Amino acid sequence: MAELKNYSKDGEITVFADAKLYSKEAIFKCLYWYGDKFHTNVSFHNQDTYKITLIPISTSQISTNEMELYLAKLERDLVDFSVRQLVNQETQAIRELLIAKAFANGEFDEIPVGELTDPVGFNVKDL
Amino acid sequence: MEIQTTKKSRKFKDFADFDNQRQDVGYFLLPFKFHRITPEIEVLVNEVGDFLLVPNGTAYKIVKREIDKEKNFDLYADLIANFFISESKVSPLIDVLATRYRTKKSFLDDFTTLHIFVITLRCEHTCHYCQVSRVTQDKTKYDMQEVHIDRGIEMMMKSPNPHVTMEFQGGEPLLAFDKVKYAVLKAYEEAEKYNKTITFVICTNLAVVEREMLEFCKEYNILISTSLDGPDYVHNPNRPRPNKNSFELVKKGIDLCREVLGFDRVSALMTTTNLSLQYPIEIIDTYIEFGFNSIFLRPISPYGFAVHNEKKNKYETDKFLEFYKKGLDYIIELNLNGTYLVEDYARIILTKMLTPFPIGYVDLNSPAGLINNAIVFNYNGKVYASDESRMLAEMKDETFLLGDLTTNSYEDIFYGKKVQEIAQFWSNESLAGCSDCAFQSYCGADPVHNHATQGSMYGYRPTSTFCQRNMEIIRYIFERMYKDKSVENIFRKWASPKR
Repeated sequence: MAELKNYSKDGEITVFADAKLYSKEAIFKCLYWYGDKFHTNVSFHNQDTYKITLIPISTSQISTNEMELYLAKLERDLVDFSVRQLVNQETQAIRELLIAKAFANGEFDEIPVGELTDPVGFNVKDL
Repeated sequence: MEIQTTKKSRKFKDFADFDNQRQDVGYFLLPFKFHRITPEIEVLVNEVGDFLLVPNGTAYKIVKREIDKEKNFDLYADLIANFFISESKVSPLIDVLATRYRTKKSFLDDFTTLHIFVITLRCEHTCHYCQVSRVTQDKTKYDMQEVHIDRGIEMMMKSPNPHVTMEFQGGEPLLAFDKVKYAVLKAYEEAEKYNKTITFVICTNLAVVEREMLEFCKEYNILISTSLDGPDYVHNPNRPRPNKNSFELVKKGIDLCREVLGFDRVSALMTTTNLSLQYPIEIIDTYIEFGFNSIFLRPISPYGFAVHNEKKNKYETDKFLEFYKKGLDYIIELNLNGTYLVEDYARIILTKMLTPFPIGYVDLNSPAGLINNAIVFNYNGKVYASDESRMLAEMKDETFLLGDLTTNSYEDIFYGKKVQEIAQFWSNESLAGCSDCAFQSYCGADPVHNHATQGSMYGYRPTSTFCQRNMEIIRYIFERMYKDKSVENIFRKWASPKR
């Protein structure tokens, strides 16, 4: 299959994203930040590939040169938001545990037990 | 003889202690976020606001497990030490991290501190950006009635907070000084009964201040917060009054306050207008001439009457940012040359970045400071979620009206349906655009600003002036800190509680 190339043409930015590499969540979170200047659209180019299009809203007044810059920015942002999504996925459980412990008022402090040491050397667990 | 210590006496483990732990799985991620600061660097921020400034692409490498413990020893150690990664699935220091998280949110512990009493709407100034004041002699219509003052104090005493602040605003509170006196004496008596400590603040332009008033303030430890917009050619046009002498009067007033109350018992706030934007340096110099050691370069709020006066008030956020950066750069230069002056907005953000503690600034907290930290009792007995909310009410927008002092109970007002509705939008952790933002722990949520400027409490970050302003200021603070170690030293001094 021929490699799909991203482009900016005829006042429109088109970017392709491999569905195996980019999650739907990451794509939508990324496009959220383009909504002030562009009409955004996501569709399936084929079953393995998302097709993302940006069309400037009428009041944006974006030049051709700026469209190229926005294309580069979108490509970069898609990677950034995918990385963020990976961090979110991998750390969701630990984040929930952290916040539960922070506001538990002692209820869930034991599970799982943290490893505390004390600067003056006595054994915290004996207290 | 060589002095030896045992590991038992040390707070932290040696790095070598991690050597044999779960090499097979590499490292585990802990929650963190990242943001590009310049084309060269990005910042990694963990769940409690600790940060690392690293080359762009580092977050990607961390996630791809490309940080090698031996080849990237320093970075690896920093990531472990700052809770970005862990060598076990659940970090052994999870309880420490949880305690730090709790500490960051400890501004919620005691609920409402600041109780604003709008003691009168009357004022002798006619500032074009002021949303609420009235030039009138009609005391009955625009002064707070004693029954409302009594109920407001009763509500304040019901706050779970052992330390409350009673702040008198206007209009010009000194025009209703009899009401201020009544309120202070009553609150003082009640605070003793309920075993609360109480701080009194009067927000005043000082134009009508008299020595007798200040003698009373001295007796009850009342702080004075005044307005100083810069040199006379900025202050006077910003604050019109008969005789066009606002600057002269505030100067005399500050001198008198310092003489009667003491040098540090009076502070000043500035309001930025279109005119101010041309004079950041001159405004800062005025504060130095007056002997202040801090200045708050704050933007004008977009509420109330100010919205109707677009020509004078609605300047672009970009212009404000240009003004702010020019001012901050100048203040940094002053500090580098030996003049101690703090920019307060930067200090608030730096305290969140560089210390484990929260800061009680209402506009930059999550959950938001409105209701949780501050409440407004208006002159007519109406209760609003924040000072900005009552300004919206002057535009006939009562969205943030929580109740009435005479007809509603404490529970109706503070835990009622309106508060529950607002609460859905007051945490940036759960707002689109904010939930993945690296600056989340330094910023806040402001449903009132969202409603006033975008028509919904939820708001839309890409066009939000609140977002645009805070993102750029925080980014700029990181950039300045990264590029110059001496600037970081100044910032650390500002953030230190013992300044």
